[in-house]
Amino acid sequence: MEQGEAAPPAAEEKGEEEDDFGYRLFPDRNKKPQSFLVRSLFTFHNREIDCSNIFLDPYAQLLLEAMKQSGCTVFSDRHFSCENCDGCVSGGFDSATSQIVLCQNNIRQQSHMNRVVTHELIHAFDHCRAHVDWFKNVKHLACSEIRAANLSGDCTLMNEIARFKFGLKGHHQTCVRDRAIRSILAVRKVSKETAEKAVDEVFDACFNDLEPFGRIPHSKTDAKRAYKDFQNRDRYNANL
Amino acid sequence: QPPRSCEDYWWEWKHCRGLRHAFHHYYAHGELPACGRWRDDYEACRAWERGRDAAAQEALCESERARVMEKQKYAPVWTLRKSPPPDWYLPLEQDKPN
Repeated sequence: MEQGEAAPPAAEEKGEEEDDFGYRLFPDRNKKPQSFLVRSLFTFHNREIDCSNIFLDPYAQLLLEAMKQSGCTVFSDRHFSCENCDGCVSGGFDSATSQIVLCQNNIRQQSHMNRVVTHELIHAFDHCRAHVDWFKNVKHLACSEIRAANLSGDCTLMNEIARFKFGLKGHHQTCVRDRAIRSILAVRKVSKETAEKAVDEVFDACFNDLEPFGRIPHSKTDAKRAYKDFQNRDRYNANL
Repeated sequence: QPPRSCEDYWWEWKHCRGLRHAFHHYYAHGELPACGRWRDDYEACRAWERGRDAAAQEALCESERARVMEKQKYAPVWTLRKSPPPDWYLPLEQDKPN
């Protein structure tokens, strides 16, 4: 219900089932921009969410630094796009255009915005550092969704309680698994069984892949600590 | 010098023993955390800094190497890139297919 991961386009349609790779959720993608007059008369822009504040959050700062180190410097005007989206989607990562989409009509609070940005930056980070086959390999998609749900704060106890999902002992992993499956089903025409199988097969490897945080950040304190460790990693690696 | 500053080991040990972290660890892993290793690392770090104790150095490095190995326990799902994606910086118009 919250994040989807968008994928590319148009050029080919083959096979019995047409998979739009989730693009139906982002109707403003691949459209010619409307004139300002049309946009301001007919579109409600949520003025509470400031798309320029996203880089102040320590989760985002660490991911941006890690991406810069990997050769993918993020520029807000090139790699971020605030758009109106369908349904309950909060954001997505479009690997075809290397853009993070933020759904300004579905995000009401800055904390939610921060979490969506972190989630999508994790996808972008994976795209930057690895050969992720977003469209043809469900296991790759599953792995990135597991990592994003695990590390972005999507599955904190408070967020789960707000969704009326209750659990304590190890519930974080249940949440990560369920949200990964949900995200896959939102953007791929695969059966629930396929999605579940893919998530189960890669869960151990991907749940324990904590790059670039090195830990599961449960709070901003953890995220700041992770950032500090990241900055000190040269010393760490040199003195092992 | 030690892989991390001794203050970092102290911080990790203190943080590990806190109630908040215990809760988060139980919520994420279904069990309470074991913090003794951070204490041992802190003491080894102090011994290293004080007297350049060779045994302490070896113990600390061994502990950190074991941490790294634990992280590499699982086979990666994807292949890592040697260079960033070529279209990362391309202007948007050029990215879109026809």
